[in-house]
Amino acid sequence: MVLKALAGVSLDIEPGERLGIIGPVGAGKSSLLGVLAGLILPDEGSVTHGDLRLSARVRPRSGSVGLAFQAPEKCLFGKNVLEDVAFAPRQAGVASEEAHRLAAAALLATGLSPEKFAPRSPFSLSMGEQRRVALAGVLASQPQALLLDEPTAHLDPLTRRDLTGRLLDLNQEQGTTMVIVSHDMDEILRLAERVVVIDGGRVAADGKAAAILTDVALLERHSLEPPGVVKLSLQISQAVGGTTPVALTEADVLATLMAALPPGGAP
Amino acid sequence: MKLAGTVIGQFYPGESLLHRADPRMKILASMAFVTTLFLADGYAALSVLAAGIIAATATARVPITWIYRSLKPVLWLILFTLVFQLFLRGGEELARLGPLPIYRQGLYDSAFLAPRLLMLVLSGALLTFTTPPVLLTDALGSLLAPLNRLKLPAYELSLMVTIALRFIPTLLMELERIILAQRARGADIGRGGLVKKARALMPVLIPLFVLSFRHADELALAMESRCWRGGRGRTLRRKLRLTTADVLFGLLVAALLLFSLGLGIL
Repeated sequence: MVLKALAGVSLDIEPGERLGIIGPVGAGKSSLLGVLAGLILPDEGSVTHGDLRLSARVRPRSGSVGLAFQAPEKCLFGKNVLEDVAFAPRQAGVASEEAHRLAAAALLATGLSPEKFAPRSPFSLSMGEQRRVALAGVLASQPQALLLDEPTAHLDPLTRRDLTGRLLDLNQEQGTTMVIVSHDMDEILRLAERVVVIDGGRVAADGKAAAILTDVALLERHSLEPPGVVKLSLQISQAVGGTTPVALTEADVLATLMAALPPGGAP
Repeated sequence: MKLAGTVIGQFYPGESLLHRADPRMKILASMAFVTTLFLADGYAALSVLAAGIIAATATARVPITWIYRSLKPVLWLILFTLVFQLFLRGGEELARLGPLPIYRQGLYDSAFLAPRLLMLVLSGALLTFTTPPVLLTDALGSLLAPLNRLKLPAYELSLMVTIALRFIPTLLMELERIILAQRARGADIGRGGLVKKARALMPVLIPLFVLSFRHADELALAMESRCWRGGRGRTLRRKLRLTTADVLFGLLVAALLLFSLGLGIL
């Protein structure tokens, strides 16, 4: 029996777009990222980067996509942080000095001070720092599109929030396209403007993040849960019996709650 | 690249006669089989051994795809050796393939080598396919027990072997992921000259080693937290006990091997 990891997936991703990919475990999300990056060649169908149609002979242009797998810190190897981060530009033929400059800029973009971290061994860092170094290693080749597989999984909440903010900055300031795979719906809500639901190797839904992430029935059909804020705001509107609009941010939840309270504060 | 999904050292759950046989008997039988494989001479002897291993394979009720996947890695080795044996052996020339001479001794040797290697791998694969890792450890420990008198840690040795087998697929899966991840960073793996190839392996080997050490640490901690204190004074919950069927199995294998050896001498 041939098991198809992906079948009938058709996606157009616009430059500068922030696309979230969600779906149950084993849905084919990570495989899809591998295919998009040109690392896995599909048996049928094709992947096109701009006007470049990928094949066994046509590889993605250097600097077109950067892919960070799950737990990318597992792949650190350099004798120090600077060498590790500069690996991708060095492989692309960038001169040593320029590669080090790119590496330092990438470290800064992930929130690490190049002066402090460049000479350290990547294996002496904390997990959060290692994750930042690994992401910097992907950013160093200045990709136009970033493909991220669970970029903040297993990190502490502060690092998580900080990294999410930095990824958003990157998208705003440099127009970097982002494709994010995550099981953390709150992270998807913060990062993505468009969401694709993948299940059984197929696209089950494709639409605006606000529409998909608040469609509880759709999410439940695919063994997914809405983000925490959405759940909370639905519970509030159920409790007060009103038909308040579904909140997408903590501030919205607060506004819904305040509106539901009787004037003059809590009863 | 398809590294994950290997069947080397894997267990295939089942209820077959071979699955139920005493693991110590299976280890001894497989060792005796491999020894006989290289002692026995002549087509008749090899045919008897082949019949034996085919019967054992049929009894084991392991899917044919598993059998194929266990043999696949050696197929290249066999092909490679065959080519060398055929053309470079020297001696009496039998025929010519273009400019290449084919030698009689080479043809003869290669006709023996291929089935021998296949049967060697198959007997090892059958042992691990039909024996759960825990039983394999217990059986090895029990067979190595005499080493305890020489103050050698027999049980630890057998546990090491089993852990190594257990981690082959895990490490291969991780190796595959690391290769993909480093290729995503532009690593050029498997291209260029020998020195360049070796250098390109560093980004793959270092993370693999780091991961192995981490696995070792975590496994050791997990074992200690479950009160593993080494083999000394350890008793087995399920004692290995030879049944009549096991003795019969052993006698059957012994008879087959002796018969094959006898055929080789005659």
